[in-house]
Amino acid sequence: MSEPSAAERPVLEVEGLVKHFPIHGGLLQRRTGEVRAVDGVSFSIARGETLGLVGESGCGKSTIGKTVLKLIEPTSGRIVLAGENISALKPGAMWAHRRRIQTIFQDPYSSMNPRLPAGTIVGEPLENFGLSRGRDTDERVAKLFERVGLRPDAMRKYAHEFSGGQRQRLGIAKALSVNPDVIVADEPVSALDVSVQAQVLNLLIDLQEEFRLAYLFISHDLAVMRHISHRIAVMYLGRIVEITTKRRLFSQPLHPYTEALLSAATAPDPKRRRQRKRIVEGDVPSPANPPPGCHFHTRCPYATAECKVTAPPLIEVAEGHHVACLRRPVGGDPGPLSIPG
Amino acid sequence: MSAAGSNILEVRNLETQFNTLDGVVRAVDGVSFDLARGETLGIVGESGCGKSVTALSILRLIPPETGRIAAGSIKFEGEELTSLGEAAMKRLRGHRISMIFQEPMTSLNPVLTVGTQIAENVVRHMGVPWRAARERACEMLDLVRIADARRRLDEYPHQLSGGMRQRVMIAMALSCDPQVLIADEPTTALDVTIQAQILQLMLELKEKTGTAIVLITHDLGVVAETTERVVVMYAGRKVEEAPVEALFAEPLHPYTRGLMRAIPRLDVEADAAGTRPRLQEIPGLVPRLTQPIPGCAFAPRCGFATERCRVEPPPLVDVGAGHTVACWEVDRVRASAL
Ligand SMILES: Nc1ncnc2c1ncn2[C@@H]1O[C@H](COP(=O)(O)OP(=O)(O)OP(=O)(O)O)[C@@H](O)[C@H]1O
Ligand SMILES: Nc1ncnc2c1ncn2[C@@H]1O[C@H](COP(=O)(O)OP(=O)(O)O)[C@@H](O)[C@H]1O
Ligand code: SF4
Ligand code: SF4
Ligand SMILES: [Mg+2]
Ligand SMILES: [Mg+2]
Repeated sequence: MSEPSAAERPVLEVEGLVKHFPIHGGLLQRRTGEVRAVDGVSFSIARGETLGLVGESGCGKSTIGKTVLKLIEPTSGRIVLAGENISALKPGAMWAHRRRIQTIFQDPYSSMNPRLPAGTIVGEPLENFGLSRGRDTDERVAKLFERVGLRPDAMRKYAHEFSGGQRQRLGIAKALSVNPDVIVADEPVSALDVSVQAQVLNLLIDLQEEFRLAYLFISHDLAVMRHISHRIAVMYLGRIVEITTKRRLFSQPLHPYTEALLSAATAPDPKRRRQRKRIVEGDVPSPANPPPGCHFHTRCPYATAECKVTAPPLIEVAEGHHVACLRRPVGGDPGPLSIPG
Repeated sequence: MSAAGSNILEVRNLETQFNTLDGVVRAVDGVSFDLARGETLGIVGESGCGKSVTALSILRLIPPETGRIAAGSIKFEGEELTSLGEAAMKRLRGHRISMIFQEPMTSLNPVLTVGTQIAENVVRHMGVPWRAARERACEMLDLVRIADARRRLDEYPHQLSGGMRQRVMIAMALSCDPQVLIADEPTTALDVTIQAQILQLMLELKEKTGTAIVLITHDLGVVAETTERVVVMYAGRKVEEAPVEALFAEPLHPYTRGLMRAIPRLDVEADAAGTRPRLQEIPGLVPRLTQPIPGCAFAPRCGFATERCRVEPPPLVDVGAGHTVACWEVDRVRASAL
């Protein structure tokens, strides 16, 4: 398989990305606060590489996806796509770059016009970006259908006539049609049954290797994540708390939240229930009112007094392994943390 | 499981159908299983295979306008439920058999406080005075480990997080000491850390109260970690049943095997190069339930299928130690590598 090459400049670079949503309240709908959906996030993705973004509901995964797609404007931060800083581009100027970054949703059906045949839906971006016309488009769409495992005669069918997995194939064909560099896939297999999920994951991996696509792959499912990703970023309340290769993340998780996620995940093995470690307690706090210091301190079994006041920066504690935890210093012992008191 | 009276619930040849514009949907097509007292039984299968309809049939909650239990028997404590009058059924539901659904928001009343909702259920079924019922509600919230239970009694469902709402549902379901709890995808809408909390809570409460649980889920991991026995469903039929260890150690139905190979695994060591081995796909799609399926429902997707599979439905065969499989080719399947 084609491993992402290190020498090349990453195709997507994100630096210090912040997105705050205003909260309005009261009779006059005055601005009463803000949701810190994304609170200073940095990462990069190479061609041919999958970066997985994992975390619980509301931690800001989709907001990152939408911001790098420029579907919503960042509050601050830099987004560099194929060497071009697109963070401040207005919609008109963004148009030229939009082709390079495409998306696949959890529910492709909701974004498809029910009155258009599938072939037209998939061919739309080709025509919109002026990449082909008429007969030429039809031919290219037929090839795309074949490539994603749909029969060309399905081009005449309507979205409701497809199963969930087939719709996801349509969504993939559409994203692929304009030959993008980066695909943001937001929970692309979460709505699918496992037997169909396997088909779609295999297809995504094949296409990545064929076209050297970069994937920003968003999922809450750690097993799916481990299967498809090269590197994984774990998010908690708008921040990345750990980012490293999948090998390191699963063999030597350093952040207490990553450890909690891994021990909470279920596995199809009845023997495992007896090995389960601690289950982290409590709920995820609201991103409108995150705890001070380390966001995780309200649930962290290893928290010290310091954790309640000092926000840990994301630092490279070992080569290629970034962690945001006060108890994980550079070059520190990677062994289990002790529970204070 | 043969000792008389050891089963609290016995379902036999259940058939539940719906009339739709596309024809009659055979949502449950001849399903049988037993639930022993105090046992945790898992029902697993992909979406649309009839898990929820099985649960709704037991509770007699199939919408009468479109659906009906067309055949079969459901016995609870020896009493036939399929022919029980609605008034008697109402006394059972939420009392001796209770349920938890996937989305607690749809089953909680948004305009009543959680304390009132739990207390009403207790008053209705146990006939105790309101004050005692409120006390019981408070105890139950405590039991499901909702912090500051007395204050939470006066809160409305929308003021609670998803995990807390599911705890409230569990508190309500257990408030009248049911003998059977049917939980339909109780953690599917929850985050993994919250799912882990809820599953652990359900198991602890089961130990404490002795309630038998039917846990319905599409998630093999949840089944493996929480149940004692498992029924695997495909296209409205039971294709395999086994004690949980046996099912995961030696799945014998080609569909069960296919499912287990199709899921990415967290617990299996990735190879050193960190490559991404291909997942085994199950080719094709689940069959439509509007056409009668003559042979084995899995035949169009099955690598072991023979001519007979397409015409004759395979009977469920006991292969020993409580493990039953509906497959003509089970000997060949068993001999093949997992
Ligand atoms: N348009 C918006 N206006 C206000 N708040 C928003 C908006 N979009 C998202 N949020 C908030 O920002 C936070 C992050 O949301 P986001 O959708 O990115 O989460 P997520 O990680 O994708 O969660 P999930 O796993 O549930 O999809 C949440 O608190 C959410 O309620
Ligand atoms: N009220 C209904 N009307 C018509 N068809 C229904 C109804 N409820 C369920 N079905 C159909 O019955 C089959 C089984 O559904 P269900 O039991 O909900 O599946 P699951 O295993 O995902 O819980 C599906 O084909 C579904 O579409
Ligand atoms: S900084 Fe403190 S509270 Fe945060 S994860 Fe590390 S030990 Fe836990
Ligand atoms: S009966 Fe035949 S088609 Fe059905 S699972 Fe067994 S081998 Fe496959
Ligand atoms: Mg999201
Ligand atoms: Mg269901």
